[in-house]
Amino acid sequence: MDGTKQSGLVKFKDNLFTVKDSLLGSFIRSGAPTSDRSRTAIMFNNFFLHVQTVKTHINTLRPSYTLGMGLIALFLMIIAFISGIFLMVYYNPSIENAFNSVKDINFVVSGGKLMRNVHKWSGEAMIIFVLFHMTRVFYTSSYLRGREFNWLIGIVLLVLTFLLNLTGYMLPWDQLSYWALVIVANIIAAPLEMTDIMGVTKYFDIGGISKELFLGGLVPGKEALNRVYLFHIMLLPAAILIILGVHFWRIRKDGGLTRPDKFDRKDTDTTYITPPDKTGDIFPTYKTYGLMELAKGKTPAVDNDVENTVLSWPNLLIAELAVMMFTLAAVVAYSFYIDAPLKELANPAIPENPAKAPWYFLGLQELVGYSAFMGGQGIPMAALLGLALIPFLDRESEHTGIWFSNKQGLTVTIISFIVGTVGLIGTLAFTIQYGWFRNWWPNIPQIVIVMINPGTIWLGFVMIWSLATIKITGSTRMGAIALFTIFLVSYIILTYTGTVLRGPNWDFFWSQSEWPIH
Amino acid sequence: MHSRFYLSLLLISSLVLMMFIGMGVYREMTSEWKTYQTEYKNMLVRNAEDDAARKRAEKLEIGLRQNYVASLNKSDRCMSCHIGVENPYMAKADQPFTLHSGDYIENHPVDKFGCTICHYGQGRATNKKEAHGKGHTHWDYPIIPTKYIQSACAKCHDYKMLQEEGAELVVKGEKLFREKGCRGCHKLNGVGGDLGKALDGIGSKPRAYYAMKHVVGEHTAYNWIKQHFDDPRAIVPTSEMRVFMEEDESDLLTTYIFSIREEEMPSKYRFLKNIVTPPRDGESLYKMFCVACHGSGKISVYDEIFDRTIPAITNPPFLRSADNKTIKNIVMEGRGGTQMTSWKTTASGLKEEDVDKIVEYVASSRTYERPEPFNYLEFQTNIDSGMRLYNNRCSYCHGKEGKGGNRQLGINLKNSTVQQVLDPEFLALTIRDGREGTPMPSFGGDGLGLSDQNIADVVAYVKTFGKKK
Amino acid sequence: MSSEAIGKKDLSRRDLLGLTAIGTATIAGLATLGGSLRLVKPNVHFEESTQFKIGKPENFPEGTVRVFDDKNCFIFSDSDGLYAVSSICTHLGCIVSLTEWGFQCPCHGSKYNPEGHVIGGPAPRSLEWFEINQDVDGSLVVDSAKTVAAGTKYIFT
Repeated sequence: MDGTKQSGLVKFKDNLFTVKDSLLGSFIRSGAPTSDRSRTAIMFNNFFLHVQTVKTHINTLRPSYTLGMGLIALFLMIIAFISGIFLMVYYNPSIENAFNSVKDINFVVSGGKLMRNVHKWSGEAMIIFVLFHMTRVFYTSSYLRGREFNWLIGIVLLVLTFLLNLTGYMLPWDQLSYWALVIVANIIAAPLEMTDIMGVTKYFDIGGISKELFLGGLVPGKEALNRVYLFHIMLLPAAILIILGVHFWRIRKDGGLTRPDKFDRKDTDTTYITPPDKTGDIFPTYKTYGLMELAKGKTPAVDNDVENTVLSWPNLLIAELAVMMFTLAAVVAYSFYIDAPLKELANPAIPENPAKAPWYFLGLQELVGYSAFMGGQGIPMAALLGLALIPFLDRESEHTGIWFSNKQGLTVTIISFIVGTVGLIGTLAFTIQYGWFRNWWPNIPQIVIVMINPGTIWLGFVMIWSLATIKITGSTRMGAIALFTIFLVSYIILTYTGTVLRGPNWDFFWSQSEWPIH
Repeated sequence: MHSRFYLSLLLISSLVLMMFIGMGVYREMTSEWKTYQTEYKNMLVRNAEDDAARKRAEKLEIGLRQNYVASLNKSDRCMSCHIGVENPYMAKADQPFTLHSGDYIENHPVDKFGCTICHYGQGRATNKKEAHGKGHTHWDYPIIPTKYIQSACAKCHDYKMLQEEGAELVVKGEKLFREKGCRGCHKLNGVGGDLGKALDGIGSKPRAYYAMKHVVGEHTAYNWIKQHFDDPRAIVPTSEMRVFMEEDESDLLTTYIFSIREEEMPSKYRFLKNIVTPPRDGESLYKMFCVACHGSGKISVYDEIFDRTIPAITNPPFLRSADNKTIKNIVMEGRGGTQMTSWKTTASGLKEEDVDKIVEYVASSRTYERPEPFNYLEFQTNIDSGMRLYNNRCSYCHGKEGKGGNRQLGINLKNSTVQQVLDPEFLALTIRDGREGTPMPSFGGDGLGLSDQNIADVVAYVKTFGKKK
Repeated sequence: MSSEAIGKKDLSRRDLLGLTAIGTATIAGLATLGGSLRLVKPNVHFEESTQFKIGKPENFPEGTVRVFDDKNCFIFSDSDGLYAVSSICTHLGCIVSLTEWGFQCPCHGSKYNPEGHVIGGPAPRSLEWFEINQDVDGSLVVDSAKTVAAGTKYIFT
């Protein structure tokens, strides 16, 4: 029995001496990525990589197609998540200490100010890049051919991005936070306008109850801060992570990124890809079927353009790494120079004048200026609903993967852009110059203003404009382009108006330098 | 070259990122307070008297200095730059290394009190601009100018001690506040008039509480208060405030104003050995509540700010026609439509016994016996005749409708006091005997020739002003 | 040049760029991570000053035993002078109490003699002794951040 014992110890000794290799091998199961086989295996076997395909279409890697917008938005979110965790080390969500703890992050924490700036700016940049990503997806008709559901998920992600930013804005408990909280709470309570008109507020006070649930009271205080904090660090991040997971999974399921039906390779493609190894190639250049593709039956990836795909390792991963580094460097550089705002401690007795919402909601605040219900809830809901319905009302998928569909699409985009710009600026200028119903007939019933105000009129015009485009061009896609273009233009113009052109008492000013001193 | 685009992007981005991380680290290493501390350390090493002192100096750690006082909820980092504030060898050093002036620091050690509890400013900040809180720093309480610093002493100390131990400025300010009649318009602790804003916690109001548009120099609460004492209407154009400051009185009052604070000091910091309640005799109360408008009360003056005549109330003719009950009635009810508000306890917080004291004080200048009474009720009055007489003789000053004001000399006869509070006999006496020291002449007897019947008619007509037409 | 040679040159050039890029990216990433982790270490502590005044020497005649609960400190005075002993157990930080024979920790039973030396239980070290100084005004100042060797007793006048 000695021999067995002996050999057992020898085995143990051998194992002990090879721990380094075997341990490493258990992490890198596919060996060094030196052949196409091992490169493929890495993509399959790694949990974090397997959400991506083994081979990537060249079109996906062309920077001019995706512009990297979705990827940048994702990395911004990751940056915001990580920087947020660092901020949580010091932040204290109580109305006595929140402001002080943010001051401490600014003043005494090593790199704290930079970290806070990175958190703030990556979060706000996320809004911009989610919108850019949405714009890209829209103008390349990428919401069709099985991607309708993912477009809806995208809209949910957009809303979550807004909410994450908004709740974060309220946490420092300075004047900006407090008055944004007040305004948002009252927008939440805006159905009061409707229930008052219907005379049912006494029995069915949906606005008041929502507000109370949001604030944990009737005025913003410690309960409200706690709830906003809960949303910001727990509920909304969890929601966005899960839904983002679905978003990515759907991209795989829907056959990767869209591309034109007829794809031509260009010589310049080699500047951003590495063609496959010719030696030991496991993929013949003709065609191949993945297990998943066979299981699902007809999908866009089967038997389609295999010769125009390259291995994801290293092509896609290098591209992703580069975009990630670019995003991080850009955010850090911006944060190095521009500080996140922090005003005086919240003071319930003295409103900021003007009490402005964060910039991404100033478009809404401009609309809220006409009617809190319509501007804060009605029109945004209508806009989101309109966006959500686009893939279901436009089923023309032949232009998928082509920017602006065709020449006509570009024309419609340009015309809609001009009409949207001129029309909306005209509407705003008219309202600023001449006022609205209440200025003319002071006793006008509220219902008339809720229903007919510059916001709803504009909404009606956009709908008519889209329908007219469909009628004239005979194409639902052109109608969609008209609708989306005006939506974008409206968001930009309204945001600009609310941010730059509105001053104390929400009066019109050409620039902040003209604001009265007070 | 393959993947050139992405690899170049990766390389350039990484380099940029590294550069900014490096710059971030450099910015932290060369922060303002670190520079000061290094300078201080070098100074100590250079000037060390012996080897032991030099060794101690060399061991000085460079790092943020925070003075945390839990019971005051203060985290002051001022000593990160003002590092020599407790070092007697630094008496002649320049800022920020100077030793604290005076002997305050002996009884108020920094570790127990911190800095901002007296000096204000932003104790949490670690750079000069934001710590001092001046300019656009989004900080509500900038460093208090040295000339007002004594306002902080009154947070913990009683006035007797302040007087004896060298904080007499705030003591003088408090006395001025009591004697200039500030509370005739401003409530404090619930007692005072209603024309101005209540002053509770005024010293703790944030910068945004004040309209800074007309403030000269830096837009701080200190400058606002001081400048509006010097000239109220230069700071608030619509202000009706009546203050007449001599020389340094506005500074003294400003010092006192900033001792009226919201925050309560913990009991172990309070040092109230001699609680002295200010005198509450008639004269003191008169000064506290009445003097801002009525002054000495000896003569009536037409007031540009109020746009009406402020009547004399301590001159003998008034006291002759008004008995104590009438005066008290006027004080308690106020004069509707004028700046004279009601001083009932429910409105002003002033106790009725205090009103009695004031009335007694006002009436103490009465030298005449009460005049020959006017038995108004004995007359059969004729309102038409009264109207004719009024239009001829009274309307020039009091206006056709009796409204007064509007740059006319006469007082408002339509207000509720005249109509309801004052009895007809008082009005009749006023018309008959006039009001010496005011433009109101005597109309009765040998004067301007109105008979008692005429006077009764006029009074009856004046009394109709209160009735709605 | 043969096409093979061109391919090789191409490859090596790409490798050089690739290696540089990925190497720089790794360094930049590590620098960012390191800088971020530095943030977690606090630069200031929200704690009261470690120095505290205990009064004038004449308040501590021989045989005095005073307990400063909020400062976790005992002050003793004997024929050799004045000394300050920490009341924080060196085992796991509980507060020891004074007994006839020394100090007793309630948590895990550590025992110390009157000088603070361990005589029982799991405590690894003796109780700490603090430095006592005299201020310019003559009052005594204990600094719980500065420990002195056990047995250091001060004589003040």
